[in-house]
Amino acid sequence: MDSQTCSVKALHDRLGQMLNDGVLTHPRCRQRATEIFDLVHDVSQGRGGHGHMDSILDLAQILADEGFTPVCRDLGEHVTSFVGQHREEFLSHIRTHTCPTGRCPMLTPAPCQMACPAGIDIPSYVTLVGQGKYEEAISIIRRDNPFPWICGLVCTHPCEFMCVRGRMDKPISIMDLKGFAAERAMSARSYKNPEPFPANGRKVCVIGAGPGGLTAAYYLALRGYGVTVIESLPVAGGMMMVGIPRYRLPREVIDREVAMIEALGVEIRLNTRLGRDVTIDSLRSEGFEAFLLAIGAHGSYKLMLPGEDDFKGVIPAVSFLRKVSLGDHRRPGSRVAVVGGGNVAIDAARTCLRLGCDEVSILYRRSHDQMPAHHEEVVEAEEEGVRFSFLTIPKQIRGEDGRVTGIVCVRAELSQPDESGRRRPVPVEGSEHVIGVDVIIPAIGQEVQNKGLEPLEEVGWTRRNTIRVNTVTMQTDQEGVFAVGDAVTGPATVVEAIAGGKKAAYAIHRHFEGIAQPTLPRVPVRRGRLEHFDVPASLKTDLDRPMMDRLSNERRRITFQQVHLGLSEHQAHEESKRCLRCDICIRCGKCVEICRDKMGIEALQLGYMDFDNPGPTDLRITAERCIACGACATNCPTGAMEMNERDGYRELCLCGTVLNRLQLEYCEACGAVLGPARYHDFIFKRLQDISPASNGRRLCLECARHQSGGQHAEINPPPR
Amino acid sequence: MTFRQGQKVEIFQPSTDESWEKYMGGFIGLHGIITDPDASKNDPDALIEVSLDEKGTHRLPQDCLRIIE
Repeated sequence: MDSQTCSVKALHDRLGQMLNDGVLTHPRCRQRATEIFDLVHDVSQGRGGHGHMDSILDLAQILADEGFTPVCRDLGEHVTSFVGQHREEFLSHIRTHTCPTGRCPMLTPAPCQMACPAGIDIPSYVTLVGQGKYEEAISIIRRDNPFPWICGLVCTHPCEFMCVRGRMDKPISIMDLKGFAAERAMSARSYKNPEPFPANGRKVCVIGAGPGGLTAAYYLALRGYGVTVIESLPVAGGMMMVGIPRYRLPREVIDREVAMIEALGVEIRLNTRLGRDVTIDSLRSEGFEAFLLAIGAHGSYKLMLPGEDDFKGVIPAVSFLRKVSLGDHRRPGSRVAVVGGGNVAIDAARTCLRLGCDEVSILYRRSHDQMPAHHEEVVEAEEEGVRFSFLTIPKQIRGEDGRVTGIVCVRAELSQPDESGRRRPVPVEGSEHVIGVDVIIPAIGQEVQNKGLEPLEEVGWTRRNTIRVNTVTMQTDQEGVFAVGDAVTGPATVVEAIAGGKKAAYAIHRHFEGIAQPTLPRVPVRRGRLEHFDVPASLKTDLDRPMMDRLSNERRRITFQQVHLGLSEHQAHEESKRCLRCDICIRCGKCVEICRDKMGIEALQLGYMDFDNPGPTDLRITAERCIACGACATNCPTGAMEMNERDGYRELCLCGTVLNRLQLEYCEACGAVLGPARYHDFIFKRLQDISPASNGRRLCLECARHQSGGQHAEINPPPR
Repeated sequence: MTFRQGQKVEIFQPSTDESWEKYMGGFIGLHGIITDPDASKNDPDALIEVSLDEKGTHRLPQDCLRIIE
C-alpha cells in the first residue's frame, strides 16, 4: 500500500462493497460484517475509541471461526491479517483523529495546518481566538510549537500562502492571531505548561539554545527526560535572540517563552562552548546518552574583496546584529554600506539607523524585484530612510589610517536571460565609482561553524557544509546523535527549526525505547473539530484582513521599540470570522457539482475550491439563486454544508457561513412544512406538465395527490 | 533558475542533489508554492522551502522544481 492509500478507507470500502453486493449470504455472517463495517466507519470518521481495534479483531476472528461460508471465513481472515498489517495506521486514526493520506474526509487536516512546518492545528486556534478562549488557543498551539508568541511575531507563515481564503481575497492573518492569543494569555497569566510525564531517569544533551534545540528540550522534558542545554552565548534563544533585531522581536518575548521551558526542569548552561568549556567526552561522563546538535549557522561569508581584512570598520552582519542584541548600542559609524539584498541585510541596515548612523545604504548587485528579502521588510526599510543602490557591484574596500573610508563599486546591467531564465548582472565598463563610507557590513550569507564537533567523527557533512541527517528523524550518521535547525538546513526559518526540534524529540524517544523510526514525514495531527461561528455570507465576504497599527516612523528611526503593535481584540475576533474552516470543508466540490449538474441551479460559486485554477467566489450569490433543496448538504461527505430549519426559516450554511435563509411555507390543507416558496415553485414547475394539481394553492405533495385523485370520478380517495 | 516567494511550482522530476531523500519521490507531480526561497543571495544551489498542496512544507533542492504560472 503506497503513501497515498489509506488502509482504513480501503477496508471500509471493501466491506461496504461486499455488503452492498450481497456476497455475504449467511445472515449471521452478514450481521458480523456489518458490525465490523460500523466499527471501521467509526475509525474513519474520527469516532474510534481505544476498544475499537480489539473489537474489530475479535469480530473478525469470530467470523473466521464460525466459517458459515467460505466467503465469510476468507473475509474474517482477511480483516485479521489486514488490520494486523496496518495496525499503526489504524491506531493513528484512533489516537490522532488524522488521516495521513487525506482519504478519510472527516480526518483531513486543513491546508494551512499541512503547510505549517510545525503542523499547528490552525483552524482550531483561530476559532478559539474568535471565541475569546486564548488560554485554550495557546494550549493547542503549544502541542506542536512551544513558541507561539515568538512565531506570532516573526514566523514566515507558510500557512498564509496556502490559506484557502487567499484564493478568494486575502489570507487570514494567522500569524498575527497567534501573536495576539499568546500576548493575551501571557498577560492574563493563563499561559501554562502541560503536566510532564514523571522523570524517566534518562539524560539528553542539547547543544545550542536556539529554536530547534529548545523545542526538542521542551518535548523531551514533557516526556520525562532530563534535558541539559549547552549554550555558548550569554543568553538563550540562539538566532532569535542575536539575529533578529529587537524592533521585530522584543527580548522579553523570548525570555518569557524560554522561561516556560526552563520551568519544566530543562537546565540551560549559558556561556558554555562545546570544545572550549565542555567536550563530548566530558558530557558523556555526565551521563548523557543522546546528543542533539542545534548549533545554528553563526558564521558569515566574506565578500572576498581586496582590502576586506585590512581596515577597521568591516563588520559581518551576523556579528554586528549579535553585538547589538547583546547590548552594545554604540553607533558603528556615520555612513554605512550594507552589502547584500536579503533579510539579514535589511535587519542590519534598519538597526544602523536606530543606532544613529547618518546615512545607511544597501548595495545590491541585482535589481529591486530580484531582492531576496521579504517585500514587507524592504518597504519598511525604505519608509525608515534606508537608501538602496541597485545594480551596484562592490569591487574593493578603501581605507586610510587603518579605517575604512569608502567602497569602490561598478554599476551593472542585467544580461539577457540565460538558459535557466536568470538575468545576470554584468558590470558596465567605465562605471567605477567610490562610495564614501566608514562602515561596511557584508550580509551575503551565513555558514555553520563546526568547531568542537570534531570528536563526533561519524557525523557526516554535506557539500553545503551542513550536518547530514535523515530529515524524517533528524538522526545523523552517528548512532544517538541528532541534529536540527540551521546547522542542518543552512540559514532557514524559526518555524522550520521548531519543526525539526519536535521531530528530533520524537526520534530520540524512539531511539531510547528501541521503537522503529518512521520512514515518512509525520502528518500534522488534528487537535479537534470545533464548532464554527454562524456568520452571514455578506459579512464573511466583506470582512477585510485587518491593518495592524505600527509605531510612528519618527520613533522607529530612533528606538528599538516593537514596530508592529499587534491586533486589537475586536480586530482579532473579526479576523477569526473570515476563516473558511478548511478543517471541516475539504473542498471536494461535490456540493457545487450537484447544484450545477444535477439540480441545474448553479447557486454555489465557490471558485476557491481549486488550488491550481481558482475561479471567482461569491458567497452572496447563493441567496439569490438557491432554492434550499438540500441536495448539497445531503451529499457533503464531512457535514460542512448543513441545512437546518429554525424559527420558521430554512438555512443553508457552509461551515457556519449562512449562504441562504428562506422563510418556510406550509401546506394550506394540512399545515405540513412545504419548504420555502422558491423550493415549492421549483418542484411544482417540474410537475405541472404531469399534473396541474394544486390550482394555485400551496399544497404538500400528499394533499396535492389527494386533490388530484378527487378530480377523477373513477377514483375514490380515502378520507384525510 | 531562482525562485521568488509566492510562486506556484511543480515538482516535475527527482533531484540529483544529495539532499534528495527516498520519500521525496512521492512528491513528484505535486504542485505547491515557494514559501521561503534563499533569502540571503538568491543562490540557485540553496535548498528552498516549498509548501505542497495538501502534502506539507519541505525544503527541497531547486533542480526538481519548475514554475507553473
